[in-house]
Amino acid sequence: MNFRNNFTKIGFFTLSCLLIGGSIIYQTAYSQDAEQAKKESAAPVTKCFESMEGYTSVSRIENAVPQYGYPNVKCSQTTSGVLWYGDPYDGTKPMGDMPKLKDDTRGDYDSEEAVVKPRESKLNYFECTGCHDGDTVPVPKDKKARAIDAHDDIVENPLEMMHGRGAIWCLDCHSATNRNKLVDHQGNEISMDQPQKLCGSCHGEVYADWRMGIHGKRTGSWVKGGKKRWWVCTECHNPHTVEVNRFDPLKPEQAPELPRGMKKTEHNTEEH
Amino acid sequence: MSEERIDIKKERDDGDNTRRDFLKNMGIAAVAGAAALSAVPADAEAKVELAEHLQGHFELMTDGQKKECIERLEKRYTEEFGKKTTVSNAPPVKGVLFGYALSISKCIGCRRCVKACVQENNQSRHDPEIEWIRVLKMEKGNLAFSADKLDKGYPETSALGNHGVQVGGNAYNAVGVSGETEHYYEPDKVPEKDAFYFPVQCQQCEKPACVKACPTQATYRDPNGIVVIDYNWCIGCRMCLLACPYWARRFNWAQPNLPAEDMNPKTHYLGNRPRMNGVMEKCTFCLQRVRDGRYPACVEACPVGARKFGNLLDPESEVRKILATKQVLRFKEEYNTYPKFFYYID
Ligand code: SF4
Ligand code: SF4
Repeated sequence: MNFRNNFTKIGFFTLSCLLIGGSIIYQTAYSQDAEQAKKESAAPVTKCFESMEGYTSVSRIENAVPQYGYPNVKCSQTTSGVLWYGDPYDGTKPMGDMPKLKDDTRGDYDSEEAVVKPRESKLNYFECTGCHDGDTVPVPKDKKARAIDAHDDIVENPLEMMHGRGAIWCLDCHSATNRNKLVDHQGNEISMDQPQKLCGSCHGEVYADWRMGIHGKRTGSWVKGGKKRWWVCTECHNPHTVEVNRFDPLKPEQAPELPRGMKKTEHNTEEH
Repeated sequence: MSEERIDIKKERDDGDNTRRDFLKNMGIAAVAGAAALSAVPADAEAKVELAEHLQGHFELMTDGQKKECIERLEKRYTEEFGKKTTVSNAPPVKGVLFGYALSISKCIGCRRCVKACVQENNQSRHDPEIEWIRVLKMEKGNLAFSADKLDKGYPETSALGNHGVQVGGNAYNAVGVSGETEHYYEPDKVPEKDAFYFPVQCQQCEKPACVKACPTQATYRDPNGIVVIDYNWCIGCRMCLLACPYWARRFNWAQPNLPAEDMNPKTHYLGNRPRMNGVMEKCTFCLQRVRDGRYPACVEACPVGARKFGNLLDPESEVRKILATKQVLRFKEEYNTYPKFFYYID
C-alpha cells in the first residue's frame, strides 16, 4: 500500500513538474522574443493618407481629444494609412444642402447631422485658376476632346479617358470657365466638396445607396440621427481611372504571424 | 461564507487534512491581504491580484461590488500604463440588437480593419501576436478542371481494383479543387487579380456555440446580442475556442505585450480593457464604443466602406437596408449558430 501511495505521489510529482516546466519554457521562449521586438518600437507616423493614397490626407495631432489623451488619428507604420480615429470629425464642416431624391428612399440626411471634409480649401495653396485664368491657358471654345500637354500625372492620354468608356472627357465634369469648380450637365457649378451632386447625375443607383448609407464610408455615430462624417465619392474613387480600377490598388498591412515553428505557408512542398 | 462550509466539510471528510488547511490558509491570506492593502505597493498589488481571483461573476455582482472592482482596475491600469485609464461599466443600449454587414464584393483585402482593431482593443502586439480579425484570400470561383492538375489525386486502378482511392498528388492538390484559401498573403498591392477577400471575426451568434461550451459562464450573450467575456471569470480552459466554428477566439498564451504609448485608455470592463495571461478574448463589436454610440473601429478604418454596422431592430438602419436590398449570406449557416454578422454582394 505504501509503495503504491509513494508511486502515485512520485508520478503525480513528475507530471506536475513536466506541466509546470513546460509552461515555464513556453513563457521564456515568448519573453525572449519579446525583448527583441521591444527594441524596434518606432515613432508614430504623422503624415497619413485617409481612405486611399494620394486622395485626402491628414496629419497626426497629439492630444487632439484631451478627455482621453487621444491623437486625432493613428496611422499605419507599414503604409501610412489612417487606421484609427481618435476624432472622427477631425477637420470637417457641415455637408451643406443635398439634392432631394425623387423616390421614397430619401435617406437620413434630413434628420441627422452630416459633415464632410472640405477639399476645396486645399486649392488655396494651388488654385487651378492660377494657370487657367483665361490668359495663360485660354478658355476652350467647345467641350470637344483634344490632346493636351499638361496633367499627364492625372490622365496619361485625355483622348482615352478612363471614365465613361470614351464618351466623356475633362470638361464634361470640370468647369471650362472656372477650373476651381466642377460643372453638371446643365452648366451649374458644383463645389469640389460635393462631387456626389455631379456623380449622382449618372450613377443614380449607387447614389441612392449612398444616401441611405449602404454605399460608401461613414465615420462617427452609428445612432440614427447621430453625427456622421459622410465620405464623398472622390475620397475613395479616382474618377480619372475608375474604369480600370474601382479602387486604386494599395499596399496591404502586414500579414499575421505564422504559427510557431512554421516557416512558410505554401502547401504541396516538402516542409510546410 | 467559509466558516460554515468548512465545518461541514470537516465532518464529511475527516482525514483530508491538507485540503482543510489549504482552505483555512486561503481565508487567512485574504484577511492579511486586506489589512496590508494601504501600506506597500507590492502588497497592494498582491491584494489586487487576490481580490481579482476571489471576485464573483460580473453579472451577479452588486452595484457596490462592481464599483469597487472598476475602481480597482482603473487604479491598476493607470499605474501600470502611466496614463489616466477609464474602465467603463456602461449598460447595454435599450431596444437595440447589433448587427454587422460586410460587402465581399468591395473588400480589397488591405487588412486595415485588422490593425484598427488591434489599436482600439488593446491586443497583445507580439509574443503572442493577437488579431481578432482574419482576412481570408480566396481564389475566385473557378471549377474548371485545369489540365496540369488532372493527373494529380486522380483515382487510379491498382492491382486491387478501382476503389476510387486517391493516388498521386496529395490532399492539397486533388483534381477539381478550386478556391484555395489563405490568410498570410503579402503581395505588393491589393486587390490581386482573380482573388476576393473574406474577413472573418466573431459573428456574434444568436445561438453561440462558445457560450454553450463555457463551463463557468464567463462568456455570455449580452442584451444587445453581443457575446462578451468576463475576463476575470475566465479560467482559460479554451473550451469556447474549440467550440467556435469561426475561429473567432484568441487565447493569451503569455502575458500580453501592450506598449504603454499605444494603449487605448478608454476601456470597458467587458470590452477592451487590458487582458492578462491565460484568458480568452475576441471581437465584441467594440463594446466600449458601440454602447457609447460610436461605430466599431473596423467600420471606420475600412477604406472602401465595405463594413456596415447598426441596429437590426430598426428597419431604417444601414444593416437592415442591406438585408432588404442586397444578396446576403451567413457564414457556415449549417451550424445553426445564427450569426448577426452578414456578408453581402453588391
Ligand atoms: S463566432 Fe464563435 S466566438 Fe463568436 S459568438 Fe459565434 S461561436 Fe461564439
Ligand atoms: S479594411 Fe475593408 S477592404 Fe480592407 S481588408 Fe478590412 S474589410 Fe477588406
